[in-house]
Amino acid sequence: MSETPMSPVADLSRSPLPTRKTLRRRQSLPLQFVRFIRFDLRILRMVSKAHS
Amino acid sequence: MAKIVILGAGVSGHTAALHLKRLLGSKHTITVVSPNSKWNWIPSNIWVGVGEMEKKDVVFPLAPVYKRKGIDFRQAKGVAIRPYGDADDPHGAVDIEYTLPEKAGTTERLRYDYLINATGPKLRFEATPGLGPDGHTVSVCTADHAVEAAEKLRQVIAKLKAGTPQTLVVGTGHGTCTCEGAAFEYVFNVDHELRQEGVRDLARVVYLTNEAALGDFGVDGMVFDQQGFQTTSELWTGSLFRERGVEAILGSHVFQIDEDVIHYETLDGEKHTLDFDFGMLIPPFGGQPLKAYDREDADITSNMFAPSGFMKVDADYTAKPYEEWRAEDWPSTYLAPGFDNIFAVGIAFAPPHQISKPRKTPNGTVIAPAPPRTGMPSGVMGKTAALTIADRLKHGATSPARTASMARMGAACVASAGTGLTKGSAAAMTMLPVVPDYVRYPTGRDERETQGELGLHAHWVKLMLHYLFIYKAKALPGWQLIPE
Repeated sequence: MSETPMSPVADLSRSPLPTRKTLRRRQSLPLQFVRFIRFDLRILRMVSKAHS
Repeated sequence: MAKIVILGAGVSGHTAALHLKRLLGSKHTITVVSPNSKWNWIPSNIWVGVGEMEKKDVVFPLAPVYKRKGIDFRQAKGVAIRPYGDADDPHGAVDIEYTLPEKAGTTERLRYDYLINATGPKLRFEATPGLGPDGHTVSVCTADHAVEAAEKLRQVIAKLKAGTPQTLVVGTGHGTCTCEGAAFEYVFNVDHELRQEGVRDLARVVYLTNEAALGDFGVDGMVFDQQGFQTTSELWTGSLFRERGVEAILGSHVFQIDEDVIHYETLDGEKHTLDFDFGMLIPPFGGQPLKAYDREDADITSNMFAPSGFMKVDADYTAKPYEEWRAEDWPSTYLAPGFDNIFAVGIAFAPPHQISKPRKTPNGTVIAPAPPRTGMPSGVMGKTAALTIADRLKHGATSPARTASMARMGAACVASAGTGLTKGSAAAMTMLPVVPDYVRYPTGRDERETQGELGLHAHWVKLMLHYLFIYKAKALPGWQLIPE
């Protein structure tokens, strides 16, 4: 048995695919370390701004 | 000496208990009532559910922590609230029933001066026939559920290795579920696991959700500023689904699950079936079944609780259409109406309405993601209630209540998409505020603070939060320096 009457799977063909460069950057240790620090600082900024 | 009773020891209740002890010392008694003997860092259950962590990595026993901190702990469940006391005593009281094996079933009435209801959700698997561990799907809502999910996933991987194609469905098991973020995390961790095992090509992975659009997450989606352009969480999330080959079925209400078939209705009113071999579907949440009575023992449950079982607080519960929803509808003090000593925090408070636009199918079926109020907001609410109580005990009962509306506070949401210190990835999002405020911000949220990014670093953030929050929950030295 499959989906009936018509498969309602979302059409994602227009969603942008990451380029090879983007995929490499997402796994690059030095770059990701910088982004890790930056994201942590952003959380701290948000906490200090909105949770006090 | 005042008596403070906290029902529930999840993120909000446990946070409230630790802060109250820190602020009040031994001058007042703090009693925590929880049916569970262990604390669970629920965001990491998804890793238990794919076998990348063990149960012991996400839970720890509560009793030793409370003993060390001088907090009275009762392993019991709250049964009833008596805000006006009883015939013997006008002091407020809660009736509890022990779940501690040695005292199981024994009841007791605890008096309180201040009460915090932080009872968390009742997992309503019964809302959909066949849903949940007693039916035909698994769950990652508790650590034990996640252990079972990992076992079932191993069986499916073994079949894939034997060359038998399998369909794995992850998502929401009802049109009114919340916690889509957990389902999102789990589907990508399953995808990652299948790739690691070298069997992804034989597997069909489907994300079946009540969200009308990808990236909704029950918070009406987000708009990010990316390199000078407004990007939606829908576009950003859709990219990940396409890249990983995960199919998405949107706007669905699952209404029945047979052994190997999921029956669901979509927003256009059409009914469909989907064959599956492995299903992890989140159940809808309800409030814990607490009753309320007045001094004469008359049932006042409907005065204090919404029909969903969540406790009414200082929100505007006037029914109004989505277009008229305002940030001011959301509660800020979490005090129950008519009481200046009863709070409901975390999942236990009744939200005024959803955050995402609710929808109905032509058949009248409601498909409306419920608002998430877990994690960071839960902890902030628990701390806010603790601060109000501490102020009132130190400076007098008329001290103003502290405030922390979800329409003012922010949240960080880190959704794992696979584990591994060098191979892992996650989607990291920050949003401010959680509840969009279209009066203050054109896109509903502060664009500087609302951002999303994908990468290995986000996995490190999720891992860091795992260790940090377990450290904090164990109340180890400096715990209070870790923000909620």
